[in-house]
Amino acid sequence: MTPTTMIKTNGISKTVTTTQGQLQILKPISFDVKAGESVAIVGASGSGKSTLLSLLAGLDEVSEGEIYIDGQAMQNMDEEQRAQLRGAKVGFIFQSFMLVQSLTALENIMLPAEIAGHGDAKKRAMDILELVGLEHRASHYPNQLSGGEQQRVAIARAFISEPKILFADEPTGNLDAANSDKIEKLLFELNQNSHTTLVLVTHDSKLADKCQRQLHMQAGELTEVFATSVSEQAAQKVG
Amino acid sequence: MTNHTLSLAWRLFRHETKRGELTIILLAIILSVASVLSLSLFSERLKSALTEKSAEFIAADRVLDSNKPVDLAWIEKAQQMGLNTAHQTYARSMVFANEQMDLVDLRAADKGYPLKGVVKVAEQPFSPGTAINQLPNSGEAWLESQLFQTLAINLGDNIEVGDKVFKVTKVLTEVPDAGFSVFGGDPKVLISKQDLSATNVEGPGSRINYSYFFTGESDVLDEYYEWLEPQLDRELHDWDSIEDDESGIGRAVGRAGKYFLLASLLAIVLAAVSIAVAAQRYSMRHYDPVAIMKTLGAPKKMVQQIYLLQILFITILGLLIGVVLGFLIQQLVVAAIADKVDVSLDVWHWKPLIIAIFTGSVCAVLFSLYPLMKLFSVSPLRVLRRDLGANLSSRLIQFLASGGAIFLLMWAYSQNIEVSAILFVSGIILVISLLAMTFGLIWVGRKLGQGKMGAWQLAWARIHRRAMDNSVQLISFAVTIMLLLIVLVMRNDMVQQWQNQLPQGTPNYFLVNISQAQQPNLQQHFADNQVVIEKFYPVVRGRFVAVNDEKVRTAVSKEDPDEQNRGRDGLGREANLTWSNTLQKGTEVVKGKWLGDNDDSDTAEQRPFEVSIEEGIAERMDLSLGDKLTFNIGSEIVDLKVTSIRNVNWQSMQPNFFFVIEPRALKSFIPTYISSFNLPTERKADITELMRPFANVTLIDVDARINQLRNIVDQVSLAVEFILVLVLAAGALVLIAQVQASMDERQQELAILRTLGAKGTLIRASVVFEFIIIGVVAGAMAAAATEFSLYMLQTQIFDMPANWHIEYWFIAPIVGALVVGILGALGCWRLLSLNTSHLLRQMV
Repeated sequence: MTPTTMIKTNGISKTVTTTQGQLQILKPISFDVKAGESVAIVGASGSGKSTLLSLLAGLDEVSEGEIYIDGQAMQNMDEEQRAQLRGAKVGFIFQSFMLVQSLTALENIMLPAEIAGHGDAKKRAMDILELVGLEHRASHYPNQLSGGEQQRVAIARAFISEPKILFADEPTGNLDAANSDKIEKLLFELNQNSHTTLVLVTHDSKLADKCQRQLHMQAGELTEVFATSVSEQAAQKVG
Repeated sequence: MTNHTLSLAWRLFRHETKRGELTIILLAIILSVASVLSLSLFSERLKSALTEKSAEFIAADRVLDSNKPVDLAWIEKAQQMGLNTAHQTYARSMVFANEQMDLVDLRAADKGYPLKGVVKVAEQPFSPGTAINQLPNSGEAWLESQLFQTLAINLGDNIEVGDKVFKVTKVLTEVPDAGFSVFGGDPKVLISKQDLSATNVEGPGSRINYSYFFTGESDVLDEYYEWLEPQLDRELHDWDSIEDDESGIGRAVGRAGKYFLLASLLAIVLAAVSIAVAAQRYSMRHYDPVAIMKTLGAPKKMVQQIYLLQILFITILGLLIGVVLGFLIQQLVVAAIADKVDVSLDVWHWKPLIIAIFTGSVCAVLFSLYPLMKLFSVSPLRVLRRDLGANLSSRLIQFLASGGAIFLLMWAYSQNIEVSAILFVSGIILVISLLAMTFGLIWVGRKLGQGKMGAWQLAWARIHRRAMDNSVQLISFAVTIMLLLIVLVMRNDMVQQWQNQLPQGTPNYFLVNISQAQQPNLQQHFADNQVVIEKFYPVVRGRFVAVNDEKVRTAVSKEDPDEQNRGRDGLGREANLTWSNTLQKGTEVVKGKWLGDNDDSDTAEQRPFEVSIEEGIAERMDLSLGDKLTFNIGSEIVDLKVTSIRNVNWQSMQPNFFFVIEPRALKSFIPTYISSFNLPTERKADITELMRPFANVTLIDVDARINQLRNIVDQVSLAVEFILVLVLAAGALVLIAQVQASMDERQQELAILRTLGAKGTLIRASVVFEFIIIGVVAGAMAAAATEFSLYMLQTQIFDMPANWHIEYWFIAPIVGALVVGILGALGCWRLLSLNTSHLLRQMV
């Protein structure tokens, strides 16, 4: 693995047990994501996008195969070690924002920094809140904010601990067109400025097109990898 | 633990409290602490006040009865330990005056007697007494009213007791330790202890009993008894407190104490149920934050610490508010009844405070343990897959943990494994029956929930779909209703029984020694004075001489140290024998068959005479069915065969007899008669006029004793009413908490229905129907479980006859439906008053 590879997967798959027996919801997949690269995982509902994201982010365990995040082998880690890795290197943005309802906007942003034990959590949070343009909403609770504002708070929360990788699950899925545009803009701006690797799951082809690469999922299989950057539109079949 | 963890926990706690997220669980803890504190503080205060008051009936806190004088060192030891002591000697002796004589209950008291209660005296026989703070001087005697009749004496006359002459200076109307049996009582004569030896009544073969009275702090008394016990001889000594007293007072106080305990135990269970419900809800509402924190890299330990700290903060806050509230409630109750209960309720007790805090903490920790364990097991993956709940799911663990916790709390609190076990087993039976009922509902619901979607179908569909989830909620409704029913029915049965014992018009005077010739005149004379005479009982006196041809002299003259039986037996010399064909009211045959029911009349002349004996005497003298008893009546010997054993209620204030003989056995004897009548206390002055024509008839005045008994029973009943109100209030709060919690779970469905355009009336009606159905089922199950628990409680703990309570099989489901339905409607109103988007937003 070269030092510039941020995510490396090697034949990862996921099998679950159902009442009808074993069901493979993700067939063996291998691909790499370079540091600073932006990748969109696209596909129809139920194609396995979110499953793949959950494995990459260490929220779930692989059944087979290997995942390396910034050189660390995640398949050998237990839940505690994966949590530590997430805390140190990973940021998240979700479709349903996933803010803690009983904390204010500012406190939600502070949360990852506090979990990581940073002493200057509040200052960092205020700075980044300003960056997303919500300093006047610092003491508001999530249910007092609009959808767009909540997602901006979520983005701020994702960036506060300066993650190496940012995972986003349908970040604009719950927003109207105007808010979607703002969020996309903000997301890519921050991503570029902080040289974060971005992996996002989306239905939105416009959003996917803004990423450097697209991984297409179908029925649990990775079918195509597009390079969307500049002129190279050559599609590669992935076996 | 890092500062970040602490500050995060504190911040979450602060915000959630402010936003009302913690209201339910906080309320549950406050409720548990407040109800346990107010109930146990109130009952502790009342119990000690009642015990204090009842202690007057044995003239002390503790009494040591003995057949021989005890070692003086024992008394000195008690005094060294700071206890107050007094001494009284009882002797049965003959008293002579004017060539008349009578057997009396001679009491020689030393100064200090009575340690509790008062002695009352009067200047005229049969007139109301006034309390006096002294005892007869040396050479003086105070006599009960009836002795003035039988000895034909007046105040100032002399009487002889043994070898000493006494001057009669007062009419003795009341001593605190008189006992409550009507016929036992030989008339009392009170003298000073220093005169006793001069009478020479103490001697070989005499019937003497020595009582040593003690008062002091109850722990010092217990400590003293610990020291004393190894030195006591069971044959000679008897250590008594009012709780051991078998009289009406002792039983009433004992039962009331058990009732308070029961009510407090049930309050603990109610509180535990509400905490369990609230903790479950609290845990489910925090699945998302836990998943988020874990996703953001929070280690499991940190999450655990944050939530344990939160529970700690909630518990501390709940304890503080609960203690203050409980104290206030209790003060209100005390203030409300202060003028009705003439006992001081001002004594502060620490024990209830400790119990309340202990209960609140244990409930908060133990009942939130399982929901918290579930919460900690929430996977971070929930942030992507919202349907994921907790990974830990075991109803068995939950039932074992909460059941075990409830049982331990009950046991620790009551220190009575029997009461705890009975309630606990009933609870388990209820839970199992409810689970069966739940399955029944699934089946019924499948049928009823089909067809066009009206409110009724919607309600059934919801019950059907959530039947298993709802089982916990259904069980908690049923348990709450059951606990309330138990407290209510117990109170009704108990108060009813007390009132039956002493109904209005209970005879308060007894007439003894009425001759056959006097009977019609006496009846007429009393009727002319508007006094109703009760039934006349014929009596002959007989000496009990043998059992199965074996002389009983030693057995029957054996000293009986039992306080209650000190005067009653009369078996050493002569017993009152009555005859009757009918079983007396209030008595029942427990073994054998009632007189004359054994044989047909053809052989009646050949068969032996039958006798029915009282249960206690049968036990004491080891008599059983078929035994031959020999009596010496007048100059004749009469053989009797025991054919039945009766249970007699000695507290009934009716003439009661140890031996009832079939009439043909005694037809050749001339009886005297016993009767009784009720005369209102305010007509006491009429007694002299009433009795004037019947100089030979002895009058026994039990008015004072009945009033004492009634007074105590009234106060205990009143106290029980207040306890009932407190528990009902606690129960109502629990029901509200439960409905609120379950309303939460319905929020999502209501929002969806609303969004889809369902009318408010349809939604409201469907929710109300759902709650009504749950209320009916819970009420019906509660009625069944109550019946079972009551049977066990009444027969095993309260020593009461058990009854069926058919009315509650109808009342419980109806009240269940009404209360739960109304609460559901109110809760639903609140939700429907919010607009749909607000509802939907709350769900996110």
